[in-house]
Amino acid sequence: MPDAAAPSNLGTNKPVPSGPKPFAPEDEVALREALKRCSPSTFEAAVQFRKTGNAEHVPAVVIGVVERFVEPDLRIKLKDAGDDLRLIEDLGIDSLTMMEIVILVEDVLQMTINNDELRNLRTVGDVKTFIDCKIRGLPLPKPTKFLPIEHIGAVMPMQPPFLFLNEASVSSTAANGKYKISGQEYFLQGHFKDNPVMPASIMLEALGQLAVLYLLEGAPTEPGKAVSPQTIFFTGCEGVRAHRVCKPGDILSLSIKPKRMKMPLATFEGSIRVGQEKAVIAEEITLTYAFVDAVNAPLPINGTVTPEGAKTPEAAPAPTPLRAAINA
Amino acid sequence: MPRVFITGLGFVTSIGNDAPTVTRNLRELRHGFELYPPFQKPDIPCKVVGTIKDFTTDSTDPEDWTFPARYKIKRELLRSMAPNGLFAQCAMLQAIDDARLTEPDISNSVTGLYAASGGSPYLTHYHHERLLKVGVMRCSPLGIVASIVGTLNFNLVAAFKIQGASCGFSSACASSAHALGYAFDDISLGRQKRMFIVGAEDGNVDAILPFAGMRTLSLQTDPNLASRPFDAARDGFVGTGGSTVLVLESEDEVVRRGVQPYAEFLGWGQASDGYNVAISHPGGSGSAASIANALRAAKVAPEAVDYVNAHATSTLIGDISEARALRSIFNSPATRPLVSSTKALTGHGLSLAGAMESGFCALAMREKFIPGNAHLTTVDPECSGLNLPRTTENRAANIMVKNSSGFGGANVALVFQRA
Repeated sequence: MPDAAAPSNLGTNKPVPSGPKPFAPEDEVALREALKRCSPSTFEAAVQFRKTGNAEHVPAVVIGVVERFVEPDLRIKLKDAGDDLRLIEDLGIDSLTMMEIVILVEDVLQMTINNDELRNLRTVGDVKTFIDCKIRGLPLPKPTKFLPIEHIGAVMPMQPPFLFLNEASVSSTAANGKYKISGQEYFLQGHFKDNPVMPASIMLEALGQLAVLYLLEGAPTEPGKAVSPQTIFFTGCEGVRAHRVCKPGDILSLSIKPKRMKMPLATFEGSIRVGQEKAVIAEEITLTYAFVDAVNAPLPINGTVTPEGAKTPEAAPAPTPLRAAINA
Repeated sequence: MPRVFITGLGFVTSIGNDAPTVTRNLRELRHGFELYPPFQKPDIPCKVVGTIKDFTTDSTDPEDWTFPARYKIKRELLRSMAPNGLFAQCAMLQAIDDARLTEPDISNSVTGLYAASGGSPYLTHYHHERLLKVGVMRCSPLGIVASIVGTLNFNLVAAFKIQGASCGFSSACASSAHALGYAFDDISLGRQKRMFIVGAEDGNVDAILPFAGMRTLSLQTDPNLASRPFDAARDGFVGTGGSTVLVLESEDEVVRRGVQPYAEFLGWGQASDGYNVAISHPGGSGSAASIANALRAAKVAPEAVDYVNAHATSTLIGDISEARALRSIFNSPATRPLVSSTKALTGHGLSLAGAMESGFCALAMREKFIPGNAHLTTVDPECSGLNLPRTTENRAANIMVKNSSGFGGANVALVFQRA
């Protein structure tokens, strides 16, 4: 398969028809001017990206540009920031500054970003993932969606009385949910006698259900494809520990994050808290899944720079969309 | 009707960036002119500008600008400003300090801000050029609010969290005089208790040079001779920029806060020539009518006026027209007020002029002097019959009139009394 990545005109002296145009000295001058208020490493990363098209350099450029627009006294937050750092709440970036960031990123990375693509970028991680997907020509990550119980019930293969999610939010990089132990769950009558305790196996099930919801609502797919609910099954779990007895009245805060996704396996890490208390940790929960043809095709990709190879289906295997997203 | 007082001033002008410096230069008749480097080219006929010192705003990127270190302005504010916005921001800070206003005094429903600038032709040009060159989607999202007329009020109202009346005035060289007049009305009608009046202009190539096309700029190469209002040898005006901010307050606020006002603002008037888009009425009819209206509104007899700060910009037609207007109002030789044009020192600040020169009047009242006519050697016979002192008089004027005129024959007169 990697051999197929070679452009069909390799070995001839015809110029490569597509791909980024060569990085000329005047481009470097313009780039230096555009990034004059960014750190030298930002400039270096941008030069490397423009010369090689290697998307590995993108996060450094994006963070460098964001840093330039953040008030100096807030920049320290970016130093060891995780992808969870919020643009508005943590960095004081308003929508106009966001546009300034976008315009500079567009200029530096030679790409085009549409207004409606910006609205869902809430964290530094969102921005990095977004730019990375654009550069690689991958489907754009879906925005964080907040799903009420009606929506969850409509899409999930599990149904009451065996559905353990009351509400959930799903992004391309994580899913969070809540479940309140009502005390009416039928199994509590026998688990245990006169002492209703949420079974640990059911808590693991609840995390698994959140992972299913992620696969259906959050996971990046291939163009024209969607994950079929009928194809999702549990395959295994590792490192499961229960830390706290959970009883009726407790509200379980569930969260899962994808760790690896390579068809047909998706592996997640998960945790449940009750308030601030750790209840359950699962180092790995693995599900199988498969694609079917989507009813509604996903949005077209409009990044103008697509590294060679990713353009044609027979070219080198593109990393699976999620990998690209979570590696960003 | 609540009385209205001037309680605070801020200056960024060609003759000084603070009230003490401005006062000294006014009193000593020291001008702020220089050979302006961007004009020293063969294809640019005019050479002299009333330059703003200690500021550099010759980049289209506000983050390149330099200004005195005592002003701390965040990028968040700077990014949407034109050069005139920077000048005004600094003048605002001075005026707030001078009037001893606290944050709650500034941000409330009875404190407003009226502003006047010609916008920023400089940034308009830059952003439009960029639009054509790189496409609209690569243009700064703040290009518009930094450029268009109104940039001053947009920026300052947001920066100082003004919650009362806010508006921009656009009557060319009468703009900030209009702003003062309407601010007076708002306070005397009880709508507002306090108003900031801001005049500002970029004062750079794009703001000044277009007037050369109209042949109204002085072509003098000697900064000491370029601006000579009422002089027979005058040959046009000298451009300038900068900003002046005045704080107007109602009497009850003056009392409540226990501040000593510079002057009382007695009233104002306006009238239009109805004559020509750019040429003053030869007889000064509109200007005379506006002064008459102002004096009537202020309940001041012409004989009671001690000093008129004239609009006189040093143009051939304008100065004569104004001289005729002044002669028709102040027609008794025994009681003629002193008349001078401080544009001989500063140059013509366009939209800024009315506010800047009203600020000068306030300073002169408090400091008890009347500025003379700098650079006036031979009075144009057409401008005779006015009491034009060559030197500064060290006495307090009781009543001053600030006279202003703008394109389209808009005329405004403001009447101040020593407080």
